[in-house]
Amino acid sequence: MIKTKGLTKYFEKIKAVDDLNLEINEGEIFGLLGPNGAGKTTTVRMFNTLTLPTSGTAEINGLDVVKEATKVKWLIGVSPQEMNLDQELTAYENLRLHGLLYKMKEIEQRIDELLSWSGLAERRDSLLKTFSGGMRRRLLVARSIMHRPKVLFLDEPTVGLDPQARRQIWDIIRDLNRQGVTILLTTHYIEEAELLCHRVGILSHGKLIALGTPEELKARVGHFVVESIDDGTTNYRLFDSRKEAYNFAQQRTDDVLIRESNLEDVFIKLTGGRIEK
Amino acid sequence: MNFYPIFLREMIIFKRRLLRLGYLFSSMITPLLYLLTFGLGLGRGLSVEGVPYLMFVVPGICAMSSMTNSYTWIATSISVGRLHFKTFDEYLVSPATARDIMLGEVLSGVVRGLFASSLILVAGSIFGAGFPQSPIFLLVWVLNCLIFACLGVVFGFLAKSHEDTATFSNFFIIPMAFFCGTFFPIDKLPAFIKTFLYFLPLTHACKALRTSFLGQEVKIVSLGIMLLFFALCFYLGVVTIRRSNR
Repeated sequence: MIKTKGLTKYFEKIKAVDDLNLEINEGEIFGLLGPNGAGKTTTVRMFNTLTLPTSGTAEINGLDVVKEATKVKWLIGVSPQEMNLDQELTAYENLRLHGLLYKMKEIEQRIDELLSWSGLAERRDSLLKTFSGGMRRRLLVARSIMHRPKVLFLDEPTVGLDPQARRQIWDIIRDLNRQGVTILLTTHYIEEAELLCHRVGILSHGKLIALGTPEELKARVGHFVVESIDDGTTNYRLFDSRKEAYNFAQQRTDDVLIRESNLEDVFIKLTGGRIEK
Repeated sequence: MNFYPIFLREMIIFKRRLLRLGYLFSSMITPLLYLLTFGLGLGRGLSVEGVPYLMFVVPGICAMSSMTNSYTWIATSISVGRLHFKTFDEYLVSPATARDIMLGEVLSGVVRGLFASSLILVAGSIFGAGFPQSPIFLLVWVLNCLIFACLGVVFGFLAKSHEDTATFSNFFIIPMAFFCGTFFPIDKLPAFIKTFLYFLPLTHACKALRTSFLGQEVKIVSLGIMLLFFALCFYLGVVTIRRSNR
């Protein structure tokens, strides 16, 4: 559904995205992970036709995002990191303008549907200024799917939300995916990627340094972690089997913790953390 | 053609502001002050180019106020929407074309420019300057709003920060507001300044608005130059929007 070849973006002299080769399948929830400034948002903006690549190509459903930008725009839904709903308009007005921009028919019906789907029916005529962070994020996602896109881009969809609001967004994402929407989400909350994504890619300094299912990535670095404290800093050692981890732990005289590895361990290991193996 | 949603957004907000009375008065206050100090204070008993000064200055202030209102609203709305709230990305990511966006924004600028300057005309007629009769006046008036709304889009897009639009306004819009024949005839200025002013759109807007206001014949060349400015600025705006992904 999404395919890139050598996708690269420079801002002046700074390389934001470096030779990205990636393929995302139809119906997949794909997570793009990486520390702040790794190039996630720039990558998504290139898919969204908002930023022009310096070199390389990106295709969505076989359409080039530069040469066939207008056709691409009909296919995609975008929920940017900055909640860019119009603060001075009501929820209803925000959705109505979106429907008009996409020349939709039956706008009113779709608005009612989306407002009740996102649990905001009662706030239909309130100005966005008065909405909480979670409500804004739900409306933002509702707006991005209003024109029934085939591919949905969610840039940091849960940043700054409380645990309850975050779970609501997760349910919304799963629900959309069940309806057949291909989803690309960026996040630096790793448990989010682990819970939601079929596959993840890890970006670091603009380069894709790992790609696979969460299980595959964990297998690559080791299934078990021993946490120990040496000179006041926590060390994480990764082991392929429980036995190896146990043997290591037995040699220690102080307190250690043995646990299964998670994507966060993979992430820290691959992006240059202190994990030893 | 799908400029309507972009136009509609600006109009909803305009309407909401209008309902707050403070906004209405604050947008009227500067031009009214000019009208009172120059038209009635300084210019009382004065006659310029054979007409009472009040009748000379009302079309000038109308040109000025239609210019600043068309420009400022659009430039501010776009630069804030782009840089601060990022609401402009919603248009850029949608299938609306650069021309749709341009047209929607420019038309909303025209509405705001016409609205603010029509208050001047009403005030002027209350003070006895008379009301414009000629359809040419309307044409020039709208054309003036169109030109500066287009410039509003261009500079709203070029601005790297919110202050940039004000900088442009200080170096370009405000000097024009004073020197293009709004408050005094430019004929008495040195020749080289006159030549320079001839290349500014507001000089022609002032001239054409004034002659049509007084029921005299409008020079075709002024209309031609304004049309040219409009075409050029509209084109510049579309190109600027198209290049915003760089």
